[in-house]
Amino acid sequence: MASSLTIEGVSAGYGAVRVLEDVSVSVGAGQTVALLGTNGNGKSTLMKCVMGMVRPFAGRITAEIDGTRHELVGRSTEAIVDLGIAFVPEGRRLFPRLTVTENLMLGAFRKTARAAIARNLDFCFETFPRLKERRGQLAGSMSGGEQQMLALGRALMSAPRILLIDEPSVGLAPVLVRRTIDKIKELKDGFQLTVLMAEQNFTQAIRIADRGYVIVHGQIAFEGGSAEELNNNELIRKFYLGL
Amino acid sequence: MDISFSLLGNAIVSGLLLGGFYAAVTIGISISFGMLDIVNIAHPAFIILGSYGAYFANSQLGVDPIVASLVLTPAFYLLGAGIYEVYHRSFERRGDASMRGLAFFFGLLFITEVVLVLVFGVDYRLVRAIYIGPSLHFGEIEVPLRLLVPAVASLAMIGGLYLFLSRSFIGRAIQAVAQDQGALRLMAADPVRIKRIAFALSIATASVGGAILIVIQPVEPSLGREYIGRVFAIAVLGGLGSFAGTVVAAMVLGIMESLTATFYGPSWSPAVAFGFLLLALAVKPSGMFGR
Repeated sequence: MASSLTIEGVSAGYGAVRVLEDVSVSVGAGQTVALLGTNGNGKSTLMKCVMGMVRPFAGRITAEIDGTRHELVGRSTEAIVDLGIAFVPEGRRLFPRLTVTENLMLGAFRKTARAAIARNLDFCFETFPRLKERRGQLAGSMSGGEQQMLALGRALMSAPRILLIDEPSVGLAPVLVRRTIDKIKELKDGFQLTVLMAEQNFTQAIRIADRGYVIVHGQIAFEGGSAEELNNNELIRKFYLGL
Repeated sequence: MDISFSLLGNAIVSGLLLGGFYAAVTIGISISFGMLDIVNIAHPAFIILGSYGAYFANSQLGVDPIVASLVLTPAFYLLGAGIYEVYHRSFERRGDASMRGLAFFFGLLFITEVVLVLVFGVDYRLVRAIYIGPSLHFGEIEVPLRLLVPAVASLAMIGGLYLFLSRSFIGRAIQAVAQDQGALRLMAADPVRIKRIAFALSIATASVGGAILIVIQPVEPSLGREYIGRVFAIAVLGGLGSFAGTVVAAMVLGIMESLTATFYGPSWSPAVAFGFLLLALAVKPSGMFGR
């Protein structure tokens, strides 16, 4: 059964600084939704709100996971992950002095994930052969692209239903960006995930997204029902692509 | 020539056995200081508490000291969990853990000593066990059971802990918790709970470490202070958080002290051992097995 995520009227910030103003985003079951916008517009903050890392001033965030509705605001991060919502954060946040395998195994800490650990590990190594080659290597000693693969693999080890990815392309060479985005699509199909992805790289993100939101100064400036709609929108060309 | 060879052999063997003992009293520091960044300088005092636990069971009930210490580990675990809870609420959560936390553990060190003095007095105490006294002989080499049994118990305890830390989910989370607590939350693990478990384990090892100490030598309440420098030195030399490193460093320090004591006199051994520590850290600052 598929899972979905609904963000309704969320306002949030840090101290007196308001970053998000009445933001509503919905990610339907089995969809890949792109959250588009340049740096400093609130993409990361919105993701942190979903993950319980930033507490919104107002609004509701609900996740429907395999037919059960869960209110997310007020829950701890670990409790949210335990529901089946995984997050690949900005900067990847790997455990640098643990090996690739140890990082992946930590991903499966969640009780529900432990039963499927062998299958998920196989899947990770199949999808990212490089991780298999480097499984005994310390995570901190790998290249940026390899670290991004490990971060994705580790998130998948928790056998999530919903996956949030913050800026998968940041710091990667253009050829790797393309490959990473392809891999996300592959993982999404393989695990039947529901994906919310924040991305600056509009053209890459839109390749795999079913729908998209453009966020400008903490507000949703445009909601596109399809990739074409996003591509051909006047607002996007003006505010976002600078054309 | 013959005599000096047997002296050398005996010095190395007793150094290895001494190292086994050092490893047992250091392994708790390797967890709390090495993996959790908690500077628990009271650890040697908990070792002494462990010695008195074993002494009490041995003198009152006639139980073997090491067996008694194993039975007492759950009590030490709970004590450790309680101490972590106080430490976390009072210092760690507020973000001023480093200096004030140090004062907190200094306080615990003195409180533990004073309690032991009040209950047991200041006299040296010792235990009885069948392995205290006899020795095994391999040619010229003498292996006192009083040192061999503790060394074996120590390695068994450390081996068990190593398996737990490397094979279990909680164990891997313990290794990760000091590296990135926020990322650990994203693995669905509560870092505070993980640290509480790890710290409680570190104190539980003090029960066994204490029994090992009192088998090797008589114990009085403030004896732990003598070991503060040495246990931290071994933990750092081995590479923080590395169990293999802790064991090897303990053995190296034991052998160096034993050799120095045999050939130059016991008063030189701390100087030589710490001189070696400084040299080793100058060459490899992360310690012998540091990642």
